[in-house]
Amino acid sequence: MIDGTQVIDYHGHVGRWDPLGMKDDPKLMLHAMDSAGIDISCVFGIFHPDGTTSNDQAAHFIAQHPNRFIGFAYVSPMMPERMIPELTRAIDELKFPAIKLYPPYTLWPFNQPQWHPIYEFANDRGLAVLFHTDGGELSRPRYLSEIAPQYPNAKFVAGHAGNVIEPRTEAIAAAQAHPNVYLETCSTYRTPGVIEQLVNEAGADRVLFGSDTPLMDPRPQIGKIITADISDEAKRLILGGNARRLLGV
Amino acid sequence: MTSLNFKSRVSLNFKSRVPVFDANVRVGDLLDEPAPYRDREGLLSEMDRHGVQRALIYHAHGENVSPIIGNEYLEAWLSDDGRTHPQWLVIPTSDSLAQVQSLHAEGRVNCVRLFDTGQRDLPFRPWAYDTLLSWLSEERIPVWVLLPEADADALVTTLQAYPSLVTVLVGAHYVHALWLRPMLAALPNAHLELSRYEPIGEIESLRDEFGAERLVYGSWYSRLAMGPMLFYLHHTNLTDAELASVCAGNLERILGGGTQ
Repeated sequence: MIDGTQVIDYHGHVGRWDPLGMKDDPKLMLHAMDSAGIDISCVFGIFHPDGTTSNDQAAHFIAQHPNRFIGFAYVSPMMPERMIPELTRAIDELKFPAIKLYPPYTLWPFNQPQWHPIYEFANDRGLAVLFHTDGGELSRPRYLSEIAPQYPNAKFVAGHAGNVIEPRTEAIAAAQAHPNVYLETCSTYRTPGVIEQLVNEAGADRVLFGSDTPLMDPRPQIGKIITADISDEAKRLILGGNARRLLGV
Repeated sequence: MTSLNFKSRVSLNFKSRVPVFDANVRVGDLLDEPAPYRDREGLLSEMDRHGVQRALIYHAHGENVSPIIGNEYLEAWLSDDGRTHPQWLVIPTSDSLAQVQSLHAEGRVNCVRLFDTGQRDLPFRPWAYDTLLSWLSEERIPVWVLLPEADADALVTTLQAYPSLVTVLVGAHYVHALWLRPMLAALPNAHLELSRYEPIGEIESLRDEFGAERLVYGSWYSRLAMGPMLFYLHHTNLTDAELASVCAGNLERILGGGTQ
């Protein structure tokens, strides 16, 4: 909680990636969250294309601290026959309130037909879908401008808001054009003025704080929001207000 | 000295509560990246916004074009008000060394920053750097060394050949997570600049393993935003004394207590 605002970190992981120093040690993650006023972190596994292994891993992790973590459902078109059954299980049985997709671990740009059953599922249920986005051809934010109007009942979140300048411009354009597109803030680049740009050009009600914890410590990532030259009201929306609306928590 | 009471200190607005001397600030434009401020007043304004009193600055032109011309451009960003302190760039050429030696003769060199010769495939080996590193070592001038494009083996083995040379390793990223512990262990005179180093809990872990005296706050503004790492440091379990050392004291010590 920061100045009366419940803080939700919209982008986090479960699992270990030892060469990069990533470890989902709940003690470390909770210490970092408590140190920075973060109440809840949204986490997901992305290392298993079957979806089930990742989602069970996330569910097990969350069960240790159910008031502090929320799970997102992960599936991959690399195993297309499993996508909808696994999404149904993760949403209905594991009670995950949103979906995470990671195009770089697939063969197809996320505007291609292989992905659309997931969007139809999200649209039918009014769910939010978080994408990894960047400048790679599999993950360009400009694809959001194609899929968002086709599935108006779903919400689409550009993870990393495109990460660098050119894809970030695409992400902002998608948010400007489509009311169901949102921008999430975590990035190792931490370029000056980016948070201000997202707020000024897309609107504070379309920006979500995320950290990529535990790949990155959430403290410098929330520091980007706190130290940005934006209003306190904008900070409150980014830090929690918008996420509560998307997730229904 | 007590640890911070985290929850009670987090606020929507932040400014450093300890004196800050930023060890890594870039001024001026890169070829393809204009700076977000045009002059010294713009830089000072950003420093004031975050509670940063002093900054060690180098010029962007020296980073990817000419260290010699970049150092000349740097003069316009200096003042006798004590807020901006020069970090001269140097490349292993006789012209560049002569420029820095001339500045040193005027008493104006308290540290240097190595040009990233990895951009031009010059290995960081003694056969290429001995003249420069020997002089820096003899004159006890600390040197900032970039990690992003470095060859880890060349960096460690070369610096080990100059055991009295004090170094600051700049720009470590999570992709360097496997390097840092053996590197800091192998180079007892090396310090870690923190601008990009974000693996979870690592600042506290490195403090526990190597001591806060090995860590140096730098923002790498204007490549990166100035505030986030400073906010991070203020929301760790570093003691107040450790926080003060990381934010300013260690850099003051490295520079020998004076900067110009």
